[in-house]
Amino acid sequence: MIGWEFPPFKIGGLGTHCYELTRALAKKGVKIDFFMPKTKYKIDAPWMRIVAVSPEVVLKMKGAVYKRKKSRNIFDAIEEYNENAALVLEEMNKKENYSLIHCHDWITARAGMRAKYLTSLPLVVTTHSTEFDRSANLNPSSWIWGIEKAVFDQSKRIIAVSNFVKKTIMEKYSIDGKKIAVIPNAVSKNNFKYKATKEQFGWDNKKIVLFVGRLEIQKGPDFFLRAAKKVIEKRKDILFVISGEGSMLPQLINLSIDLGIQNNVRFLGVLPQEKLSQLYSVADVYVLPSVREPFGITVLEAMIAGTPVITSKTAGAPEIATHCLRVDFWDTNEMANKILAVVEYGALRKEMSKNAYQNVENITWDKVAEKTIGIYNEVRK
Amino acid sequence: MTDIVLSFHVHQPFRLNSFSRLEEHPKKLFERYFNEELNKKYFEAAAKKCYLPSNSILLDALEKYENFKVNFSITGTFIEQAKKYSPETLESFRRLVETGKVEIFGETYYHSLASLFKKKNEFKRQVEKHKEAIYRELGTKPKIFRNTELIYSNTIGKEIEREGFEGAMIEGSEKILGWRSPNYIYKAKDANLKLIARNYKLSDDVGFRFSNRGWKEWPLTADKYAAWLSATPGDIIVLYVDYETFGEHNWKESGILEFLKYLPKEVLKYKNLSFANATEVTKKEVKDELDVPFNLSWADLERDESAWIGNKMQKSCFNELENIAEKAEGEELENIAGLLQSSDHLYYLCTKGQGDGDVHSYFNPYKQNNAYENYVNYMNILQDFKHIIKTKGGKA
Repeated sequence: MIGWEFPPFKIGGLGTHCYELTRALAKKGVKIDFFMPKTKYKIDAPWMRIVAVSPEVVLKMKGAVYKRKKSRNIFDAIEEYNENAALVLEEMNKKENYSLIHCHDWITARAGMRAKYLTSLPLVVTTHSTEFDRSANLNPSSWIWGIEKAVFDQSKRIIAVSNFVKKTIMEKYSIDGKKIAVIPNAVSKNNFKYKATKEQFGWDNKKIVLFVGRLEIQKGPDFFLRAAKKVIEKRKDILFVISGEGSMLPQLINLSIDLGIQNNVRFLGVLPQEKLSQLYSVADVYVLPSVREPFGITVLEAMIAGTPVITSKTAGAPEIATHCLRVDFWDTNEMANKILAVVEYGALRKEMSKNAYQNVENITWDKVAEKTIGIYNEVRK
Repeated sequence: MTDIVLSFHVHQPFRLNSFSRLEEHPKKLFERYFNEELNKKYFEAAAKKCYLPSNSILLDALEKYENFKVNFSITGTFIEQAKKYSPETLESFRRLVETGKVEIFGETYYHSLASLFKKKNEFKRQVEKHKEAIYRELGTKPKIFRNTELIYSNTIGKEIEREGFEGAMIEGSEKILGWRSPNYIYKAKDANLKLIARNYKLSDDVGFRFSNRGWKEWPLTADKYAAWLSATPGDIIVLYVDYETFGEHNWKESGILEFLKYLPKEVLKYKNLSFANATEVTKKEVKDELDVPFNLSWADLERDESAWIGNKMQKSCFNELENIAEKAEGEELENIAGLLQSSDHLYYLCTKGQGDGDVHSYFNPYKQNNAYENYVNYMNILQDFKHIIKTKGGKA
């Protein structure tokens, strides 16, 4: 399997996905060599062999950067990583006799395609998001589109994390739907068992509205703040808590000041797993206002932590996790209306929390692995 | 001789506006809360597909066959909408009643759950209001009562008796009948009231299964159905379905209107079958007394009140409705409070999954098909109305 980020070296859902998927696959007897860039972090994944390929990459606020030659941009690092991963994979295959190659998203696609060419092994690609999602459909890069199109064409099967993604692949890349299997993400209950009280966060007597995600245009954090402004006009005892990092942070801080709500907004940065779980547990409502959200794994995280969820209508996760409220990401009036409702109507909170938990409890990585193995068996034939 | 008590339920609720707390709303209360456009659209569609063609079929049969009789429950909110959106529909019901072979049941004006409120005055008010509306518009006085969704218990039975009714329609569920057949007349426990039980199996064959191609009896024809009725032992068979079964829930193309058209003729071919009005069958021999210590209804698999007040959201709205009903004074506020009580609004908050959930979402008229969204909207309206009652000091 060719990966890119992997916990604790991670910025988004791709890292979590690879971690949980490989663990569940290994439990079912799949032997995995996991290719990823060199990193200074210690990777703890005893269920498989990690193949660290140069260059070394470090995690920074604005995403991953190239370590050795800081003047060069991230795209050079990705290119070098892909080229090296393919060559190492070809070499290792001589001894290991791999059954197939599984890569993820455009960022590892060229390694997948090159290795497929060198080894003649079948290729599977999992699509977590497309360029149309990451760019919020504003200015998609035709260069990345080209890579995505190529890997879709060359893969024997494509795994999409939602019907939303499948539809994008069919419509924007002219791929036959029969080639695409939808296997939605899951959530690991154990990661979200840590609870806390509002007092522990110093938020006594406050209602907590939570945002978790990269602070990028795709995730719509600015809509979150604009809705916050409208909620705060109705009642003052509400804190809007933002956990995540990204290029929009300075802009968001300024926006909260311009809106005059800075006293009701908290920026917490990226939190370790235990702290994140506690944060979900104290939140009265979780809001995901993404402009385009191919899946939105945080929806499942909030639900398994028992927190009611409001998501934008353009999100993939509610395809399987239906017990949530939905709004148009641009409709900050409606977002505010629903935030107020969840905060004030206890019966709504209790009912959403209970039903969503029961729903999401059954969405496990074990089942994702099972379906993935089904795809593996198909392409090996 | 077995009497077929063929009965239809006719109702339209006043559907709600999308009511955000962040937006301005009209000052006039009716326009503030209710979506005229949606109500008009639904009513006109149902009139065209169901009410007018079905009434015409029934009128023909009533004129043609002396022994053909039918029964209707018609809510007050339906009559209000018919007057507004489709006077010819109301006129066609009048013509049916004029045949003298059509009985109209009593019920709550708003199709509400007022029978479950702790205080009984609101229930009484709504039953009286309904009686008046039926007499005014259709010129008849109901003698048999059917509570909203056939919700019935010993306690409710006493209230129905107090309102002067001779009998009540109930669900013929095994939950209260046990080994006994629904096809006989029973009496209420602790009340001087006859109980007429719906035969849900034979009713659901038409109401739910008619268009189901997976059903082994599909397609159901009038002659086959009449043969089943003839072979069913008992003094009565109560067939009671939503009127919209004909042409709305089952499309015209399913053959449902032909079924309705040929049913009287096919039934009357059998010497052991005839049609009857509900009041007539209460004169039959009483077989037993029925003890109904809990709330029985005709909805969902549970046959209880859980379709409307099963989850916490529904209970919280129900409590608000009860609270509002107590505080609202004066004609306008009382009427708005009543319109908000239509049980449909609570039904759309149901989160039951699988089988029943499908039925719930089928009936949901709102764009977003989601109990939580519906709750936010409904509760916003209830809170707003509560505030208005407070500021108006309970006076209109």
